[in-house]
Amino acid sequence: MRHRAAYFAFDRFPSGKGSAVHIAQMADELFERSGGGLLGVLGGGGLPGYQREGAREIVRFEEQIPNLIDRAEAYSAWAAALLREHVESLEIVHVRDPWSALPALTAEDRDYKVVFEVNGLPSIEMGHTWPWASPATLGKIRELERFCLDRCDAVVVPSRVIGDAVRRLGTAAEKVHLVPNGADLPGETARPAGAPDRYVVYVGALQPWQGIDVLLRAFARLGDLADLRLVICSSVPERRAKPVRRLAERLGVADRLDWRFALPHPEVAAWLAHAAVSVAPLTGCARNLDQGCAPLKVIESMAAGVPVVASDLPAVRELMADGEHGRLVPADRPAELARAVRILLEYPGEAAAMGARARARVAGGLTWTRSRARLAEVYRTIAPSDR
Amino acid sequence: MTRCTVTTGFFLLGRCGRAAVAACPGCGRPVCAEHAVQGGYCPSCAAQAGGPPDPHDPSFASAYRRRYYESSSQTYYDNQWYSSFDSYDRGAFNPGDDYSYGEGDFGPDDGTGFVDS
Ligand SMILES: [Zn+2]
Ligand SMILES: [Zn+2]
Repeated sequence: MRHRAAYFAFDRFPSGKGSAVHIAQMADELFERSGGGLLGVLGGGGLPGYQREGAREIVRFEEQIPNLIDRAEAYSAWAAALLREHVESLEIVHVRDPWSALPALTAEDRDYKVVFEVNGLPSIEMGHTWPWASPATLGKIRELERFCLDRCDAVVVPSRVIGDAVRRLGTAAEKVHLVPNGADLPGETARPAGAPDRYVVYVGALQPWQGIDVLLRAFARLGDLADLRLVICSSVPERRAKPVRRLAERLGVADRLDWRFALPHPEVAAWLAHAAVSVAPLTGCARNLDQGCAPLKVIESMAAGVPVVASDLPAVRELMADGEHGRLVPADRPAELARAVRILLEYPGEAAAMGARARARVAGGLTWTRSRARLAEVYRTIAPSDR
Repeated sequence: MTRCTVTTGFFLLGRCGRAAVAACPGCGRPVCAEHAVQGGYCPSCAAQAGGPPDPHDPSFASAYRRRYYESSSQTYYDNQWYSSFDSYDRGAFNPGDDYSYGEGDFGPDDGTGFVDS
């Protein structure tokens, strides 16, 4: 099979994580305009190593290599080999991280254009997830980022904050394109089985910068609302929840939590739609502030018509306005977070109006349809399809 | 009737479900006519090294496997960047060293992406 387009991500696909939704939308747009394509992603977890869906081929990197850098290196070699197979027919290669970008950019005889999608900078991100990584090591990763940013034909970012971070690294401004994240507007959803009568919902992964500890501390302050429960729809498996559960025990809120793990995406939409409030308690750490983020959970909550209480970070302000679509509260302040949630619960009419306005905001400018049209524009700019 | 259990779909995965015509000699799963590669192999097994040598195989998969193993036997050292990573650098990225709470960032049921919203 010959492909004109390829999309590579050093990430498992599909999965319950927000990144998988994003990959699906971006790759689908690329493959639709290219009459098919090659998707190279990580496998494992029972996913097939190879799939063929019409004119699309999905291949998954399946090597079980414990060390992250060793694994990334082997993945890059794997991607390089795949790209070699298709180097003559490829017109666009869209990559989602430096480990994918490197082989795409260094391939011999490449005639294709490379779109580098930057959702975060590993040189910042990995400093937050890998405490033993030295500044010198992170500096090497920063060099790799610069190399990829310099050499690629277009950079796609999901938020202005990330765009600014990329430009600070020296990337030419005209090469950087904003393609915001989006959400599909869910239709009517049935109340999820086992859903409590009244609940606050958290959706997403459990890394420290997500601020779940802040949320739990805030929830402890709402102990007088005896019927109120906190539903955590974790995108990561149950064994990763241990520290959060321990903290919940310590704060005395463990028996007021309901956990759901790695739910399929449509089920998450139902949990959002039937919640009283959705919370995005992102911390004010460098990862969220300097590098920026584009929290899909905020857009998906808005699309579901549920009022959001989120940390007041620049990247969140790009998506929602305080008092209009929900509430923005200072990051890392459990008391403020608790108060904002309490007020929304006390004024359900006002809360519902915020939810409705949030949904209208998504319908008017934050749909995936809109994001994909912007991405298509980027492809047209760098690789006119009439060649 | 035995149904084909090959995984299909792009974002939402499911089982094929068509009537099976063979059992894959590699993994034993039932496969339908559509999904049976020559010799009755399922697409995943066919794509793996040791799959059936098939000159008519429309998929590039066996070829890419072969090339991949060839290229990864000598590490990806043709690239300057990875070779700049010494054992000290690499040592910070072993399972259990991350903030993902003691059990590592790596496991059979985890994705490995480093950016998530
Ligand atoms: Zn098989
Ligand atoms: Zn089948």
